[in-house]
Amino acid sequence: MRELFFFQPDIVSALASGLWVSVQLIIPSALLGIIIGVTVGALRVYGNPLVKTIANGYVLVFRGFPLVVQLFIWYFGLPYIGIYLPAFVAAVIGFSLCSGAYQSEYVRGAFLSVKTGQTLAARALGFSQIKMILFVTLPQAFRRALPGCGNEIIYLIKYSSLAYMITCIELTGEGKIIASDSFRYTETFMVIGAIYLVLTSLAAWLLRRLEDRLHLPGFEQYG
Amino acid sequence: MADTTPILRIEHMTKRYGAKEVLKDASLSINRGELKVLIGPSGGGKSTLLQCINFLIKPDRGRIWLDGEEIVRAKGKALYDYRQKVGMIFQDFNLFDHLTALHNVEIGLLRVKGLSRNEARNRAVLELDRVGLTEYMHQYPAELSGGQKQRVSIARALAMDPEIMLLDEPTSALDPELISEVLDVIRTLRSNGMTMIMSTHHIGFASEVADELVFLEDGSIVEVGPPEKVLYRADYARTREFCSKITELYGNSSS
Amino acid sequence: MTESLIVLYGALPYLLRGSLVTIAVVVGAMMIGVIVGISLAVGQVYGDRWLHRLIAVYVWFFRGVPLLVLLFLFYFGLFSLLQINLSAFTVSVIVLGMISSAYQSQIFRGAIMSLPEGQMKAARALGMSDGKAVLLIILPQALRLSIPGWSNEYSIVLKDSAVAYALGVMEMMARAHFVASRTYEHLPLYFAAGFMFMILTYLGTKGLRILEEKVRIPGYSS
Repeated sequence: MRELFFFQPDIVSALASGLWVSVQLIIPSALLGIIIGVTVGALRVYGNPLVKTIANGYVLVFRGFPLVVQLFIWYFGLPYIGIYLPAFVAAVIGFSLCSGAYQSEYVRGAFLSVKTGQTLAARALGFSQIKMILFVTLPQAFRRALPGCGNEIIYLIKYSSLAYMITCIELTGEGKIIASDSFRYTETFMVIGAIYLVLTSLAAWLLRRLEDRLHLPGFEQYG
Repeated sequence: MADTTPILRIEHMTKRYGAKEVLKDASLSINRGELKVLIGPSGGGKSTLLQCINFLIKPDRGRIWLDGEEIVRAKGKALYDYRQKVGMIFQDFNLFDHLTALHNVEIGLLRVKGLSRNEARNRAVLELDRVGLTEYMHQYPAELSGGQKQRVSIARALAMDPEIMLLDEPTSALDPELISEVLDVIRTLRSNGMTMIMSTHHIGFASEVADELVFLEDGSIVEVGPPEKVLYRADYARTREFCSKITELYGNSSS
Repeated sequence: MTESLIVLYGALPYLLRGSLVTIAVVVGAMMIGVIVGISLAVGQVYGDRWLHRLIAVYVWFFRGVPLLVLLFLFYFGLFSLLQINLSAFTVSVIVLGMISSAYQSQIFRGAIMSLPEGQMKAARALGMSDGKAVLLIILPQALRLSIPGWSNEYSIVLKDSAVAYALGVMEMMARAHFVASRTYEHLPLYFAAGFMFMILTYLGTKGLRILEEKVRIPGYSS
């Protein structure tokens, strides 16, 4: 009973505002991540050698550096060359670029998985490169990439908690404040953990629904 | 040469999957040294019957006697000991893919029978030699042809010194030119007196080596008898119907 | 420019010792991940319905809650509640290990289920108990198939180990920040830390690829 009393209105509102910050972090990062991922993925498959090298280099670095290091670079590192980003902006940039690199892997794999016969047939019919990508490759690749890209967004929901480490106070950050003030670490973080579980489970459920809606015979789960 | 002690007897073997009864009250017995061949249409219960005999499939009803002793508890050590006495050859070979031919034959001896490294090694080499695969003993299954794989699986089963061998369509997954090497090995087993129950589509071969043919359709044993009788002068219409079709197809020649 | 290089050069030994801490965390976590992961996988594939569900809940929990939250929960919350006094390093290893075991269990489970049914049948037909069959026949093959997935998991755990910094574990990232806050050479130091992580990733995955080659069965395709 004592535990329940703990959740006074001000605690709940603090958690709520933290959750709101988390949502504000996740949605733009997810969208930007996908846009970057699709673009870079396409460039890595269809670009000329120079473009491919640059794109591959980007992916190598942004998948190779831990997310924590990347966040620190955007927030603590950029001031070194005179750029001062607010914590929130640094976080979104960090999440987007990192997620984009991972997304491009799934996108690239999906493009490569489309059988060469498809593109041969398209070219034989007179499709230009761009039209071929838009009307033949993309519809197939999209379905193949969906599971991987969807999972990447679920990861993003969890990793948004790292914004705390560059002083952006989202849900986890609020929790740490509340917990250290009240010494109720276990209760606080169990609630926070539960909230994240709801978020990730919801996202996973939506992803499955989407996969089912878009399912076509012959396009079984890839990877 | 067969003597008159039934080495294996099964009675009232029944198995259903959901609403479908795949094995209906099947009973059969076989004497030491005999070879009985199960024939019949696909899905008729031949494979199920064989796999019930060594409890790879748990029958819903039925009793089994091996060498006069009933197998009452099909669990734990009793089951494992029983299975050592019943050898099985699969249609898909089922060799252990991560082990060489030699190790495939050895592993049962080492880990189930508990023989020493030397004893297991010597016996395995001997069995592989008996099926003519000495020079392949260090190859992995992926490097062997279908016929060679099946011969290794026969060596693996024989190494356990079974009292009876069950062969579940041993040549159905083989390319035509590889079938004869396996049939030759089976012939040799026969002449050495191994008791066997085999299911096959090779009517010619079956009529050559079998003591009795057992016709299974829809889960029931319809008819049992010597090959010439079952194939050409069957008692039951269903048997005659099936056999007339297959003798037309396969003729009298053994492949 | 040269100032930064001097600072970097001076900090290098300190950072390298941090890499040892990082490696220790990763090795510990991966070990827990493998042992628990294989057990969970075998339990899920061969256990009864209830065991399967129980394991599914464990997997769902440890894959659904963020690492940082779990670290705080266990370090500040659960362990002190149960009056168990563990160092930040130990808690990090345990939590990273449990999370990794959830992911690894699915890798191993996928590998086990991809094996043909006939392997288990043949093992049973020879008279092997299920336990022996799993140990001698199923796992040797499933583990080989799992190496690529495991290599990927290693790379993830390595990068996640940096989060242990939040509990005060002095691994590479923590040390880089420590030096940076005293010398103000943030950017160069973080890049240095980042590259060290990349090198460790490369070494690890290269090593695993060599392992994969060494244990490869001729002609065996997954």
